[in-house]
Amino acid sequence: MVGSSRPRRRRRRPGITAGPVQAPPRDPDRVIAGVAERRLAIGLDTLDLCFVVALYLRAERAQLASFTEAQLEDVFAQVCAVVEPDADQVKKRGTHAIGRLREQRMLARVDGQGVVRTGEYALSRLATGIVEFFLDEDVLTRESLTVLTQTLRVGLQGILDAARRADGAPAWHAGVVAPLRVTITELVAGIERRQRGLDLQQEDFQAEIRRLLEADWFGAVDRCQALLESTSATLRELNEILLRDSSQLQALLHDIQDLAIAAGAADAEAAALRLMDQVDRIAAWGAARQRAWSEYFQYVHRYLRDVVRLDPTRALTQRLREQLASEAGRSFSLTVAGAPPFRLLRTVLPPRERPPVTRPRAPREREPEPDTGVDPQEVLEGQVRGALDGGAVALSAVTAEVTAALVESERFVAAGRVAHTVAQLTRATAARVRPWVAVGGDLEIEDWALAAPAARGGDR
Amino acid sequence: MTSRPGYAQLQDVLLDPEFPALDLALRRGWHVDRDAGAWYLLLTDAQDHLEAFYRRYGCELIHRSDGYFYLLPTGDQLPRRQLAVGDMIVGQALALLYLAPASVERGGLVTREQLVEQLVAVLGTDTLIGAFLPRKRRIDERVAHKLVRAKVTEAVRRLAGLGFVDLLEGDQLRLRTALLRFAEPVRGLAAPAEALARLVASGEVAMAVDGEGAGEGEGEGEGEGEGEGEGEGEGEGEGEGEGEGEGEGEGEGEGEGEGEGEVVVEDDEEPEV
Repeated sequence: MVGSSRPRRRRRRPGITAGPVQAPPRDPDRVIAGVAERRLAIGLDTLDLCFVVALYLRAERAQLASFTEAQLEDVFAQVCAVVEPDADQVKKRGTHAIGRLREQRMLARVDGQGVVRTGEYALSRLATGIVEFFLDEDVLTRESLTVLTQTLRVGLQGILDAARRADGAPAWHAGVVAPLRVTITELVAGIERRQRGLDLQQEDFQAEIRRLLEADWFGAVDRCQALLESTSATLRELNEILLRDSSQLQALLHDIQDLAIAAGAADAEAAALRLMDQVDRIAAWGAARQRAWSEYFQYVHRYLRDVVRLDPTRALTQRLREQLASEAGRSFSLTVAGAPPFRLLRTVLPPRERPPVTRPRAPREREPEPDTGVDPQEVLEGQVRGALDGGAVALSAVTAEVTAALVESERFVAAGRVAHTVAQLTRATAARVRPWVAVGGDLEIEDWALAAPAARGGDR
Repeated sequence: MTSRPGYAQLQDVLLDPEFPALDLALRRGWHVDRDAGAWYLLLTDAQDHLEAFYRRYGCELIHRSDGYFYLLPTGDQLPRRQLAVGDMIVGQALALLYLAPASVERGGLVTREQLVEQLVAVLGTDTLIGAFLPRKRRIDERVAHKLVRAKVTEAVRRLAGLGFVDLLEGDQLRLRTALLRFAEPVRGLAAPAEALARLVASGEVAMAVDGEGAGEGEGEGEGEGEGEGEGEGEGEGEGEGEGEGEGEGEGEGEGEGEGEGEVVVEDDEEPEV
């Protein structure tokens, strides 16, 4: 299982995000605001920088963990003698330089004795980082990459074994999470730091090629080619190592992740996931740099072949410059083919013919026609008359009879029409206070007394 | 015969899926170099077939040893045009940059600012303004500089349309091998005048007409009487129409820019054919 390069899907559970392993994701705005609030600043002139470099080299050579004040002053005096040999008051300037470095956290007092005795000072991580950047020590080489990846593999194998043995949260943390976050992360960061170093070195190579050509046009061809070849070979080798080793590292990390998921160790799973992303990034760097360098390689080779070798005395540049500067440069014009692009005609739709404006010939108003439909009022009158003829002597009786067949919703309207019709067909009398009489369902009306049937003959 | 087995006949070339686009590009004046990848391979492999093919249209498929192809009309069947003076100046400055070791450091990438610096270094500010704004009488220095920069940008854009440079993001340009065409008159050991006469005789270059400014117009005529000016009709004032062939010329100009440029017309009286 270990070391296999089978393709595997990376499982990313919700809530598990990939980022730098050392620290949880930080809010950039808050961090920037914090830096601004603390008014952090770094300012090193050449003398200060040389002083820091000298301290670094002295510590390295003499295996010093810290410097006494006398040693600091001694180193500064040596630096001053080289950089500014005419400087006065070296001791005083040294005191100021040490003060500046302390203010900027390049030097830290490590003895903790205060005024009891003279202090001991050590270079901080910041100062060490700056010096290492300028000394370009961390450039990725075949040897350093091989050693680093082998160490990584061994470390991950140990963590995998610890993960298999882990039987509780403390064991997971001590055996897996902590090593992943510290040891392995440091190793991966070491590779990335060396990658950046190699990037810088490539930039220097490109500038070096330019300088060589400017200094010795034709004579620089061989040296330029050697420089190109060596860098290409280095990149090719590094890429091969990265391709081979990154798959093994990924397999190990996958195994650790699987075990972490099975054990429910979310921290270990997240740490493994983040490291996988970092390993991916390292492998992608190799391919990208090799591709970019390949393009540059081809360009420079073409330049050396077509420009430098064909114009060993660099006369062409001079003659072209003279041509451009003189009237000759404006006296001629290159001929080029100039076929016009094809005309792509639009599809044109014929306009739709609009009908002419006309006036309708038929008369606008039609003659009235007799309506042969049933007059509802006549029907109602018939019903009311039937009720009256049947002997009804009260409006409520007529209304109840006429509206009995209607649905509830129509009865209220019909009651009004019945009252109107009754008033036309007979004579009604009403008391001052008319009684409310139910006429069926929920409907009640104010009742009228109607003339008796015998007395209605004259009314009609 | 240099054709590979796949191109045993002209028909095989014409059936190549890359051919239609390549053919159109060549006819529009595009220069195909090694960076063009598949197109360059196609031209290299089918060179014999295509030389004979284009000769029937009255033009030559030229292959320079620097590594680029282009189509040179020698008859009257395919329209041709001359680069404007401004384009020639910018083209020569770009060729100088191509030859400079400084551009090697960046893999052939330069910025427009570097181009203008090169022009100023070689020509001087006054000459540069005079070359691009020949008929301007009194003009504010700041305005003149702005106009020159705009005209340089326009010239670069037109040269990019012919395959001399690539326009990249931002202000950057990628220099291409075909720029060495601008150095042709000074490449050999012969005197430049002799070399120029030889190039004129072969139809590679034409002598500029007196009084021609550095404007954007590119005269053009074609046998079939269907000219199409591709130059920009710029502006206010003295600018006047684009070059066109007889009859139904069609201005395709992009009327942008600062305005006061004089548009160069190839030949007002008769379009070159």
